Amino acid sequence: MNMKLHISALLGLSILAQTSCTKNFVAENTNPDAVAAPIPAYVFTKALYDGMGNASGIYGGSTMYLLQGTMQYTTSYNDVAGFGSKYVAAQVQQTFGTFNAAYPDEINELGIVIKAVKNDPAKVNMLAAARIWRVFCFSRVTDLYGDIPYSQAGLGYDSSLYTPAYDAQQAIYADMLSELDAAAQSLDASKPTFAAADLIYNGNTAQWKKFAYSLMLRLAMRMTKVDIASAQSWATKAIAGGVITQDVDIAKMPYLGSGQVINQNPMAYELWNSDYIAQDGDDNAEGGKYQDVWINYLQSTNDPRLPIISVVYTSPGVTDTSAAIQKGMPANIQYTKPPNFVTYSEPNPKTVLKLSSNQLVFSAAESYFLLTEAALRGWYSGSTAAALYTLGVQAALRNWSIIAGSDGTINPGAVSSYVSANLLNTAGTFDQQMQQVYTQFWVSIFPDATEAYSSYRRTGYPALVGNNYTGNATGGKIFRRCLYPVTEQALNGDALKAAIARQGADDLMTHIWWDK
Amino acid sequence: MKRFHPKVLGSLLICCLLAIPASHVRAQDAKSLRINGTVRSVSDGLPIAGATVVLVANKKIATATDPSGSFTLVIPADVTARTLEISSIGFGTRQIEVQPGQTVLSITLEGSRSSLNEVVVTALGISRQKKSLGYSVTEVKGSEFTQARENNIANALTGKIAGVNAVGTSTGPGGSSRVTIRGNGSFGENQPLYVVNGMPIDNTVPGGAPTVNGITFNVDRGDGIGDLNPDDIESISVLKGGTASALYGSRASNGVILITTKKGRMQKGVGLEYNTTGTLENVAVIPDYQFEYGQGDGGVKPTTIGASLNTGRRSWGAKIDGSTDYVGVDGKTHPYTAQKKNFQNYYHTGKTLTNTIALSGGNEFTTYRFSASDLNSKGILPKTTIDRKTFNLAINSKLTDKLSLDALAQYNLEVGHNRTSAGDALGNPNWVPLEIANTADVRWLEPGYDSLGNETAWNDAPIASNGYFVQNKFQENDTKNRFLGQASLAYKLLPNLVFKGTVSRDFYNYNYTNIMPTGTLYVLTGQYAGVKSDVSETNALFTTTYNTRVGEDFGIAVMGGANSRKFRNQQLSLSGLNFTIPYFYSFTNLSTSSVTPFTSHLTTNSAFGSVDLDYKSLFFLSFTGRKDWFSTLSPKHYGVFYPSIGGSFILSDAVTLPAIFNLAKIRGSWAQVGGGAPDPYAINLTYSSVPSSGQPLQNVTPDPNAFTNIISNPDLKPFTSTTYEAGIELSMLNHRLGLDVTYYNRKTTNEILPTTISTTSGYSAAYLNIGQLNNKGIEMLLTGTPIKMGDFSWNVSYNVAYNNNKVIQLAPGLTSFPVAQSVNGYTTLQHIVGQPFGMLVGTSMLKNANGDTVFNATSGLPVIAPSHNLGKSVAPWTMGLTNEFHYKRFGFSFLLDGKFGNKIFSIFEVYATRMGKLKSTLKGRENGLTVNGVDQSGNKYTRTVPVSGLRVYYDNYKTYSDLFVHDGSFVKLRQVIASYNLPVSKWHLGRLQSANIGFVARNLFILYRKTKNFDPEQSLTNSNAQGFESIGLPRTRSYGLNLSLKF
Repeated sequence: MNMKLHISALLGLSILAQTSCTKNFVAENTNPDAVAAPIPAYVFTKALYDGMGNASGIYGGSTMYLLQGTMQYTTSYNDVAGFGSKYVAAQVQQTFGTFNAAYPDEINELGIVIKAVKNDPAKVNMLAAARIWRVFCFSRVTDLYGDIPYSQAGLGYDSSLYTPAYDAQQAIYADMLSELDAAAQSLDASKPTFAAADLIYNGNTAQWKKFAYSLMLRLAMRMTKVDIASAQSWATKAIAGGVITQDVDIAKMPYLGSGQVINQNPMAYELWNSDYIAQDGDDNAEGGKYQDVWINYLQSTNDPRLPIISVVYTSPGVTDTSAAIQKGMPANIQYTKPPNFVTYSEPNPKTVLKLSSNQLVFSAAESYFLLTEAALRGWYSGSTAAALYTLGVQAALRNWSIIAGSDGTINPGAVSSYVSANLLNTAGTFDQQMQQVYTQFWVSIFPDATEAYSSYRRTGYPALVGNNYTGNATGGKIFRRCLYPVTEQALNGDALKAAIARQGADDLMTHIWWDK
Repeated sequence: MKRFHPKVLGSLLICCLLAIPASHVRAQDAKSLRINGTVRSVSDGLPIAGATVVLVANKKIATATDPSGSFTLVIPADVTARTLEISSIGFGTRQIEVQPGQTVLSITLEGSRSSLNEVVVTALGISRQKKSLGYSVTEVKGSEFTQARENNIANALTGKIAGVNAVGTSTGPGGSSRVTIRGNGSFGENQPLYVVNGMPIDNTVPGGAPTVNGITFNVDRGDGIGDLNPDDIESISVLKGGTASALYGSRASNGVILITTKKGRMQKGVGLEYNTTGTLENVAVIPDYQFEYGQGDGGVKPTTIGASLNTGRRSWGAKIDGSTDYVGVDGKTHPYTAQKKNFQNYYHTGKTLTNTIALSGGNEFTTYRFSASDLNSKGILPKTTIDRKTFNLAINSKLTDKLSLDALAQYNLEVGHNRTSAGDALGNPNWVPLEIANTADVRWLEPGYDSLGNETAWNDAPIASNGYFVQNKFQENDTKNRFLGQASLAYKLLPNLVFKGTVSRDFYNYNYTNIMPTGTLYVLTGQYAGVKSDVSETNALFTTTYNTRVGEDFGIAVMGGANSRKFRNQQLSLSGLNFTIPYFYSFTNLSTSSVTPFTSHLTTNSAFGSVDLDYKSLFFLSFTGRKDWFSTLSPKHYGVFYPSIGGSFILSDAVTLPAIFNLAKIRGSWAQVGGGAPDPYAINLTYSSVPSSGQPLQNVTPDPNAFTNIISNPDLKPFTSTTYEAGIELSMLNHRLGLDVTYYNRKTTNEILPTTISTTSGYSAAYLNIGQLNNKGIEMLLTGTPIKMGDFSWNVSYNVAYNNNKVIQLAPGLTSFPVAQSVNGYTTLQHIVGQPFGMLVGTSMLKNANGDTVFNATSGLPVIAPSHNLGKSVAPWTMGLTNEFHYKRFGFSFLLDGKFGNKIFSIFEVYATRMGKLKSTLKGRENGLTVNGVDQSGNKYTRTVPVSGLRVYYDNYKTYSDLFVHDGSFVKLRQVIASYNLPVSKWHLGRLQSANIGFVARNLFILYRKTKNFDPEQSLTNSNAQGFESIGLPRTRSYGLNLSLKF
């Protein structure tokens, strides 16, 4: 046979084979259950849930748990669940939580949103909301760990960047503050918004602006120990921009009481399901209770919030909220359930554990306390420190009704007697007044232990005493930061080493930049 | 010699195929004589495949038998000398004269198929003379699996074949197996391709394998190979190297296990076989606990129910003294004495009963075999059961002289209950017997629930479930309906030119529910998990084969074909929380629930061919080529071509060797095999809805197995695995002594893997074509017949293999990546550049240059040294030794096997140390523990940990991984069979032809081990996450009786 014929037949056959062998491959390899392009609004809502969840609940759940213990609100007889109040050396890996969860969830999601909207001038409000929320999310991470991947973070898909550098916290702060400023200024009420997908403000640009400047005030004040000039200049700018001072402007996340877990209040969900669901005060799966430091303080100050947040079970299903019966559990119990466990106070199922409760992201009370400090420092003269402080205390007492509705409402008489008993001691030194403000801040910000922890490290108040528990990792001192996940050693080792060289050992007692 | 070019070879192959039909099709003489026949072995009556049938008068008129031993030979009318010569290597040669009018022949050959010159089944079901192969292939007869049987047939390969590392998971009666051939050649899938009668089957574990640190629903749902019934298996061939398996393409890069099922045979009436096996199993290893100090804490025993419940899993109490004021978790007073029988009291005797009945028969046109089998197994936890019914039908039919049809249908119904979870505490029933205080009787915890059905506490950590509650109230149910069907039509255009088309489909429908009930102390309102999946693998294969001889000396066999493979998985994952109506377990009764669909589509299309040449049966040369096109890869790199070449040289026939040598063969081969991405949709990032009860939510589509997000890769290209191997086979002293040695070198490059990356990238992993993995090794098989005297014979077979594995390169910038981790991540399993696959990495106590322990003076605890390598998780050395004795009707055999050189990390020991159960926690119980060392400044440091602080001090040992890492080496008495062939023919029992009764035992004794407290093969998953003992079901020894009858 003719060889040429063979060859051309062969060529024809092989071309035929090539095309027929790969026919339908594109359709075959397309996931029928997914879409190729993201819907920014849907991803943004997810990022709101994740950012708030990581800050307080099921995502970085252990971080939330442990910081509530560290701020001495809660404790557990169990060493594992009680790590936050005991700093047991064998449980330090619990501090990895927020870092691990943040990047693949909210940080990456916000990157997807920003990429999708940033080049469309009509979507500037969406871009601004995403940028502001991104600052909130990043601030939660850097405040716990110090130097973190920031400028190169979340670029794994867009830039194939798998080993992002860790930025110095100082640079992160500088960038977060200018991001807030730029985003706040870019908001334009005439342009479209995320509307209903924006669970916090339903697309209200004026409120997003207030949230941005409030966050700016918070971050500015963080720098008082390390860069007082920047702190003052950013705080001044924030106050001029307008911060949240009215309840209607409070940044809060609404939740549902049932349905998918992600739609439920993450902190309430975590506490309820991990510990308190038995509703008998005795069968708490993780051995959790309020800590004596917290309950003692509320009792000693006749705080009207005590019966709002705390209960003692007198029998299964029956709670007593009277102040006198409330009792906190000591944090030094050596991993053995105490015989009188049932007599200790625990979170109130109607308020702290309410799955449909709102979670406050930034409240008017916080603004007022920060403004009080600004006034004390002479950076703000719009009102007196004493007046601002009282406004803060009043706003804080209202917060529980915003969180939990009628079960969180304190009667006006109780409010006024507490307010009058808690006036700012203007005769005291600056330090004494700071102690008063930030001890009140600690009471007011509960259950947001993450913010309480940052405030405590910056101001030193409340004057908590560390727990010198057997086998603790810190010499009995309250730790100053969380540890980087151990996986970073293998997966991003060089970047991690550079961060440690700059910041200090990856140790619980190393002070981060703004806490020097 | 010219440089060998794969693509040229591929083209040549296709040219040959195109050229064949045109030049060889001839009209057939109508008066020619057609002879149909079968060739069988005298010794066992089994068909002989590949036997040659030659017309003596004209040796060009010849054919070979097919796998069923059948042949057709056409003798032209002009030939009158009709004498046939039938020969097969390993058997004697016979000449038979065809009588006038005779068209059907039934021929038997003397000899033994155990000879080195056997015929083996190779890729695509092609039978070939073993001596012609340029690579190592090992065949195991089906009878080796039917007597001392394992529920999962792959487990029965353990120790039998050099270079095959097989181990069953310790997860109960329906558990999976892990088989690796010649080491782990991939960062992804490492198990071989299973092929039944030439067609691949699915071997995935529905819903994925369990994980080291999983919780509650972390069960082993069983793999695909576990569905086969040993009684249906004729033989198993293991194709170890790339050359052996190159014709299978991508999925053969880890080797191929070829399973040939039994077929019917021509006979009068219906042949009936019945096989029954009953076995019992018991826990093989009981931990070596301390029994000096009993339940309690701080040196104090519990004397109240409250104290007892607080210390239910703590043996930090007083010296065990028999005192009578001790209160147990049942609230009753008991003597304070050691409870050494908790393991025996908790775990029962497992029972397995297998019954198989097979009918077979046929005539010269059609043969059939039908079998029905029932396997009923109850685990050592009595509610853990598996019932597997298998129906298998094989039909082989000659429709016409030229056209034949083979069909196989298998249906399985497998129902499992209460598969036990491993890993973390919640819902793991093995936690209690392992960690309960040593003076407490495990039966005090019975029945594990109260009058309402709620879990009763036994310790102060509700996450550590009451094992009896788990056994009695947790509900795991799974059903697998599997249908395996194949049909092939072969058309013999000429005696030496055959076209064959085969279609096969392996389909299963899987339903799984796992319920954590209402009243579980740690999760009061319960949880639900479910998987529903429809999985299918469909293959359509077309082949053409052509054999001829050129002159007397040259033989040529050419094959070409095409295959299309489609894999489909339509899966729904169901999960839910909170049973609204308590104790009512339905998916409808969950306050929070979600259903996540996952659809997996994969197609691989292939074209392939081979040319086999032989010269005077002295030199053999084989070329293969295959091109695969993968739907899962980048359109830029859909296709990949892989070639192979192999040759063998029969030295003993070419030159005169000393008389002791009967056979000397040298072989060598080179092959490339490649593959596409194992998962679909890896080239484009997509976005999926996230279940929400409020506003719609969306995120990057998560990986269906790990629930993490993975960066897609639009440039994914095929990976390549290149193998060289060389070997020598010797047969000496009248075939009484045999030696087979193989050296191989396998290199895998551009491996496709979802590589774990820093989450700070925003993703948990990225699909990358990463790095390189090398496997080098040597395998040796030594066989001998030390004694053969009259009725007595003793056969020995010893195999040993060494595998040297090394990770050469990972993705740029990556020096390691994690595979698995123990609880809290104290110990991880990692692939590290420059180290073998799967290194255990963990911590230890920091020591200074003098070897003194460095203490943190603040905490009083030893400083944790940075993570470092603790050893390889995979044994580099494997061996097996089989001894068989035969005397008249008696047979006795035993198999020893061993693995050496790996490490295993024990998670149970971590907890048992924390709970004060191990002997290593005895120091300091009386007067406190004095520790000496240096502080972090280098000054001498000493302190005494008081008795009250011992628990916390030892508890902290969990942070030093190396304390729980052990050498995993072992030698086991793996199998013992004693059998007797009853002399039924003397008894005249109707149609009963033979009866064999045997005592069988598996995993009888561990003759050597370094792990005091557990079986070194204690493994919970068949994934790459080896090297962990993780509180799974204990491994067992089994023993029983086997009876087989033939009518």
